[in-house]
Amino acid sequence: MMPKIQELINQAQDRYLATDELGLMESYISSLPDRLQLYKLIRDREIDILQAVANQVPAELANVTDEELESGIKNLILVLRYSSMAMLLNDENFLKQRLLNWLEGIMSMRDMRRLNETLYKLLNQELKKQFSSTQLLLIQPLITAAQVTLIY
Amino acid sequence: MISVAALIKENRIPSNFFDYNAYVKGDLEIGLLENRRGDRLIAVPDTLISSLYAGLAKETGQASRLVLFNCGKWWGKNFYTRFTESLEEYYSQSLAEMDMITFIQSLKECWLTHGWGKFEFDPQHQAQGFILVKTYNSPYVQVIAGNTLPTGYLEAGILTSFFTRLTGRELLAVQTTCESLGASYNTYIIGLPERLQIVDSFLAEGLAHETILQRVLK
Repeated sequence: MMPKIQELINQAQDRYLATDELGLMESYISSLPDRLQLYKLIRDREIDILQAVANQVPAELANVTDEELESGIKNLILVLRYSSMAMLLNDENFLKQRLLNWLEGIMSMRDMRRLNETLYKLLNQELKKQFSSTQLLLIQPLITAAQVTLIY
Repeated sequence: MISVAALIKENRIPSNFFDYNAYVKGDLEIGLLENRRGDRLIAVPDTLISSLYAGLAKETGQASRLVLFNCGKWWGKNFYTRFTESLEEYYSQSLAEMDMITFIQSLKECWLTHGWGKFEFDPQHQAQGFILVKTYNSPYVQVIAGNTLPTGYLEAGILTSFFTRLTGRELLAVQTTCESLGASYNTYIIGLPERLQIVDSFLAEGLAHETILQRVLK
């Protein structure tokens, strides 16, 4: 959405926006209160969510070292932070270009696949517990994008 | 049991220092483009690079290759210092503590963000003492009419001193494929000079990269 709006903004040099173009802006702007609210919730619950994920990992994967888990959780913190910002901006590319390209490079050289599969499964469970289904609609596609890019 | 609160105590988890959007800044009002540390950035016009090459060739003839290679070496020495300083500062880690993956990935991103093209690192032959680097869309290789040798002297120079400083051993980078000669990327073999000096004569014979690599690996 955001790149489209940016395009519209750039039209100022040529013309006024048409009604359907303004509609695009309007629908984004009217979705902002929900986005802001969810953003604040994730921000305030960041530690709870990720601590819950971290606590459950040893039961699922007995042989993961603390060092591996810390590195996996750090990447997950980044994914959740960038996903939240991408959700606020309604711009999946923000997440892809600014974080996933980087993480993909870092992870392709490390064998973190099993740990990551578990981390994302647990994160998704935790998000379901914490947020309403309408809130999940906003954030889940981004987490899934990260999961797909980084694991498969 | 790990503590997430402790992990984010400083509240900042570093990711990609060279992220284009965060890296390129500037105050165009006063005429400056800067990186995120405040070091000046400038865009070098393509025509300036070809003019430098043409001027050097005219003034110094055959020696221009060596001049460019040495310029690259100077550049590489300073580049290494700046690059490692930036990373150490950003990750709050000394180079020795940093893992190789983060280091190499940062180097790729650095290359890309500065507009020097795509950088690939191939450690396949590391056990035999060679590292391969590939660059794509390099601004520093130029088509020279009638030339049959690779022309990435600047890049060969920068890689020579970068990897020399990184490993603490005298290394040499030699170019075996070149975009200016129709290859889809530039390949540099990096290793000990005594094992690679012979590559120049292989190139003069017109040998292809694969053949050269096989011969130096022996």
